[in-house]
Amino acid sequence: MKLVELGTEDLARYPFLDETGEYIRGLDLSVEEITRAEYHEVLERAKSRVIDALKKGTIACEFYNREIEILSFPVALVLIKATKIEHIISRYALAEAKRVETFLLKEKRPIIPIMFERVLNIEPIKARDGFDRLHLEYKIPLVDFLKRAVQFHTTSWRLVNRVIEEGFVLVTTTELVRLLREEIYEMIRSRLKSSSVIKLDQRLRDTVDEIIRAAPPIPAKFGIFSGEYPPCVTKALELLETGQNVPHYGRFLMTAFLLHAGKSVDNIIDLYPGVPDFKERVTRYQVEHIAGLRGGRTAYSVPSCNTILSNNFCFRNHNCGTIKNPLQFRRRTKKNS
Amino acid sequence: MSEESLNVLKRAFREYYFQRDAIEIPTRIEEREFGYLPFGGFMTRHLKLKNKGELTALLVRESPRGVYASCSYYEDPSLPMTEKGWKSGDLAFDIDCDDLEMECKKDHDRWTCKGCLLVGRGIRPARCPSCANTKILTLNWSCKLCLDASKDEIIKLKEILLKDFGMTRGKISTFFSGNKGYHLTVENSEFDALDQRGRGELANYISGKGLDIAKLGLSKNADYNNMVSRLPVLGEPGWRGKIASFFDDYEFEGERDDGDIKSKIANYYGKLSPKKFGAIIDLAIRSRGAKIDSVVTIDIHRIFRLAGSLHEKTGLSKKRCDDLNSFDPTTDPVEIKDEPIKVRVSMSPPFTLRERTYGPYKSEEVILPLHAGVYLMGNNLAQAVNS
Ligand code: SF4
Ligand SMILES: [Zn+2]
Ligand SMILES: [Zn+2]
Repeated sequence: MKLVELGTEDLARYPFLDETGEYIRGLDLSVEEITRAEYHEVLERAKSRVIDALKKGTIACEFYNREIEILSFPVALVLIKATKIEHIISRYALAEAKRVETFLLKEKRPIIPIMFERVLNIEPIKARDGFDRLHLEYKIPLVDFLKRAVQFHTTSWRLVNRVIEEGFVLVTTTELVRLLREEIYEMIRSRLKSSSVIKLDQRLRDTVDEIIRAAPPIPAKFGIFSGEYPPCVTKALELLETGQNVPHYGRFLMTAFLLHAGKSVDNIIDLYPGVPDFKERVTRYQVEHIAGLRGGRTAYSVPSCNTILSNNFCFRNHNCGTIKNPLQFRRRTKKNS
Repeated sequence: MSEESLNVLKRAFREYYFQRDAIEIPTRIEEREFGYLPFGGFMTRHLKLKNKGELTALLVRESPRGVYASCSYYEDPSLPMTEKGWKSGDLAFDIDCDDLEMECKKDHDRWTCKGCLLVGRGIRPARCPSCANTKILTLNWSCKLCLDASKDEIIKLKEILLKDFGMTRGKISTFFSGNKGYHLTVENSEFDALDQRGRGELANYISGKGLDIAKLGLSKNADYNNMVSRLPVLGEPGWRGKIASFFDDYEFEGERDDGDIKSKIANYYGKLSPKKFGAIIDLAIRSRGAKIDSVVTIDIHRIFRLAGSLHEKTGLSKKRCDDLNSFDPTTDPVEIKDEPIKVRVSMSPPFTLRERTYGPYKSEEVILPLHAGVYLMGNNLAQAVNS
């Protein structure tokens, strides 16, 4: 069902929509043709999308030619997929999602609930009068809210701090956009993960190499930590890796865990991507504090799974089994072998 | 426990399980994990039962002290936890009067030092005042006040589930736990698919954990009028409305009310120290939230006492009580017969069953109806006497 007629301007802004696929199919183009001279600009734009995403974490919103903008998105996906590097995929997906967020926040309001319904398949219902003094304009079903809000770590996303009524959670328009961004991030990421790698000619392969060289050298740092960690620690590492904010509790847990796993203070500080001097000092202080080198001078122990859970940072999966502390985590395959 | 007492308990339980329809047969049996605790033995878990027949056969064969089933549904409940394949699960809530910090515990709870066998009243000390031993047994007892208080909590819980979470009455089942509290389950709802974190959010909401007063609109930096305009009013849904209604009822000493809740909240927020104001908010949370044991709601791998089965400590059944108002926890769950039995009681605070109050007892032999004897023996306070 089409909810709105979207123009090429919309497709250029929201290239992840199904219509983009239809539009491109209409042009009847193949990947090989992209390298042809007349598509030079498409390839260049795809490259800048990707390189900006990896280097700055954002993608420019300005464009002068809609067709180029639209076509550059699927080309960028092909290039990213060809790198086959997990953290490049996540970082790129996040930057694309943030770009969409920027556009949406500038939109005339009614398109936001429409887009929300298209992407999440949940219809936001207009809130009744009386909630406007709190800027709560829509409501969504409680279970749908919960499944997503657990990904966010600030107190305002905790259910206890929400206005809820008869199984619905009231939200602001800005919050709808934030939920949309998260969904789009996941959507692009999983699309990239499940798509197959396309065979590329030499010229495109050179571009892919260029992209890999442009990516911040995070993988090397994370390489020190290769091994299987419990989902909560992995989540904190993943947030750091993709340049997202790691909630206080997540940092604490991750640091305490890694120290117990034998990592040094320097190893851990290295994980924080290119922080300026001042911030590095703060980080160092905090890590050393948890290690017991400062302050009270007793090393912190790794909190129990129950404590982590009540601080909303447990991301349990079946590998956790019935463990009571992340330190008991063993990957199932290890135990079996 | 003496051989004789064990036999009496086992016989009483067996007689109960031999009745038809003693227990409620859970839905989707073959997807649940079952477990039981036999008389004289250890817990058996990870059982898979195919149908009602297998369950009743188990009960008749074992007449267990306790029998349990998971709220979760698994691909294969007989496999180890990590391989079971979790599909979904009923929501479960537990209210226990031991968590309610009741004043009456000081009167009816007891502790016994394992070293010198000294017995004391009230909350257990960290070490024995006589021999300084730290190994101390506690006896958590319950009285009418305790049971009424847990009933109040379960009523509040149900209100939140219906009003705030929008659950349907017909999907909610309420049970007396068989000892000192209540269980509540929600089956076959859209909440089934929630993972532990989603369930944790529900639990925190119900108990008011993590409520942030800044999110009510309170702020030390905001302009007064601006702040007041964002504060909760009566009749608002969610915690905002609960806080407003608490302030409406709350009487500050020597103050008169001018009727407007928003300014009442704002005034006290301005006047009181953050600590004092925080204490009032804590009171509001205690009064408007429900004190559930969050771990029970969050942990999807638990197994729960089967509805209709007997509690090993009391011999009372986990009785369905969807109509809480008319439910009497000291009468309705008494299933064991009243034929007389002679027991030797080491000690016991008073207790009531079927409108008859027993005790207190101290080192004495008494003749009691079987269900009262079982109540004491299950609590390890009495032994059957050969007659
Ligand atoms: S169960 Fe424990 S180890 Fe697993 S994610 Fe949760 S907190 Fe981490
Ligand atoms: Zn003693
Ligand atoms: Zn009591």
